[in-house]
Amino acid sequence: MKTLSLRNLGKTYFDPYAGAHVTAVHDVSLDVEPGEFISVVGPSGCGKTTILNMIAGFIPYSKGDILLDGKPVHGPGPERGVVFQSFALFPWKTVLDNVGFGPKMRGVPKAERDRIAREYLALAGLSHAAHRYPNELSGGMQQRVGVVRALANNPDVLLMDEPFASVDAQTRMTLQEELTRIWQERKPTVIFITHDVPEAVFLANRVVVLSKGRVLDEIAVDLPRPRVWDDLVKDDRFKQLSARVLQMVRAA
Amino acid sequence: MNLMLQIWAGYARMTRRWPGISAIIPFIPVLALWTAVSESGLFPRAFFPGPGDVTRAFFTLTYKGILPDYLQDSLIRLATGAAVGMALGIPLGILIGTSRWAHRICWPVLLFLQAIGDIAWLPILLIWFGFGLTTMTFVIVYTVLFPVVLNTVLGVESVPRDLARAALSLGASRARVLWEVTLPGALPNIITGLRNGLGYGWRALIAVEMIVGTSGIGFMMFDARRAGSTVEIILGMIILGLLWYIVDAWILAPIERATGQRWGLVTS
Repeated sequence: MKTLSLRNLGKTYFDPYAGAHVTAVHDVSLDVEPGEFISVVGPSGCGKTTILNMIAGFIPYSKGDILLDGKPVHGPGPERGVVFQSFALFPWKTVLDNVGFGPKMRGVPKAERDRIAREYLALAGLSHAAHRYPNELSGGMQQRVGVVRALANNPDVLLMDEPFASVDAQTRMTLQEELTRIWQERKPTVIFITHDVPEAVFLANRVVVLSKGRVLDEIAVDLPRPRVWDDLVKDDRFKQLSARVLQMVRAA
Repeated sequence: MNLMLQIWAGYARMTRRWPGISAIIPFIPVLALWTAVSESGLFPRAFFPGPGDVTRAFFTLTYKGILPDYLQDSLIRLATGAAVGMALGIPLGILIGTSRWAHRICWPVLLFLQAIGDIAWLPILLIWFGFGLTTMTFVIVYTVLFPVVLNTVLGVESVPRDLARAALSLGASRARVLWEVTLPGALPNIITGLRNGLGYGWRALIAVEMIVGTSGIGFMMFDARRAGSTVEIILGMIILGLLWYIVDAWILAPIERATGQRWGLVTS
């Protein structure tokens, strides 16, 4: 696994409606160590999704560098897996074929990629849904598929763009707990974008607070794992950290 | 009252077992009215034939082999035109849907050409290609092409951007994205386009056969006019309706539903 570095990253684009250049990301520098789980929080419009889209290679960046293991990245690639807020599952493929899509693109034969897909589906407790289509699943189940689809491709970095924002509150808590469990088992490098402060603190080793296209502060989260909501809601350390991050986000 | 309910229940059970029956029921009053008017003697028989006369003409023409031959000619022309129209229309639609430049260049031309209806091409086609298969095929292809292209463009543009992004970040090349995402995502719309195109093409074919044809259902109807055979004209009209119903309800609509609904792309 490889280190991801953002060096003085910036994004300026022309807004035809405003008739002017708009700077969404000013100057962001960040190093992500292999196996680290980073949450990026900030109010809407702070540039967090823009940063993620630049790392994913969906949009070009205007200045600075994005380096993966020292090499600059341009355009999307399988070493940077993405989990979307919209799930972005292929509706015409079964759950099994969705999860096996990455291996299929690498030329892994059918039997082998089915085995890989089943292994990852089991990890998310979805073995029973292998042959169903995405629209036959609940939102929470769809996003579980979205997460393991990205993981099954063994990316160096997993980019998650507010992945649990469109599921109900109870399901979201379950998904958060499952994600920490899976992270502990597999130790992928994760950059998790969210506007939900407790979510950011619950999941991460480190919370990065963004404001107006700049990094405002970084807070290390030294809470023990495994983390479950039943314990953490009563935990003073968790409350302190959440309060601190929330204060910064609100002031941002 | 009880009897009515029982009849209704029986009807519900019957149509569930044979869904085709519910399509026939609405025609019973039409048929009855037709019989009543023709039997009333209000119009001369040669001028307004009844269902019996038309059915007899159907068997006579089938027995002589004229009807099957003409039907086959019409269907082959439609199938050829549709195949060529699809082979041209789907790639063109994907190109226009995926490339902004292609869209800018082709779209105005498409709308311009679409406005020149199929039949409006006939005068120039008759001079260029004469009364023959080329002229007929051109018109069918032309008619099928536009709904296929326009709906393919619509389908390509309706595929969520995140799906292509997901495929790219899972390691798909641009070509694979086209094959794995764009094409299946646009498929329900492409089939809708094909369904519309075939409907227009079928009508255009009959019109062209009347003017250009030496065979086919359209030709049969127009030829019957010369002989003053109202029976054959009405038979032709009924065949047009029946055949389209079979093609649309039994073949095209199920395909459209199978792709769209299973994937949750179409809700109905």
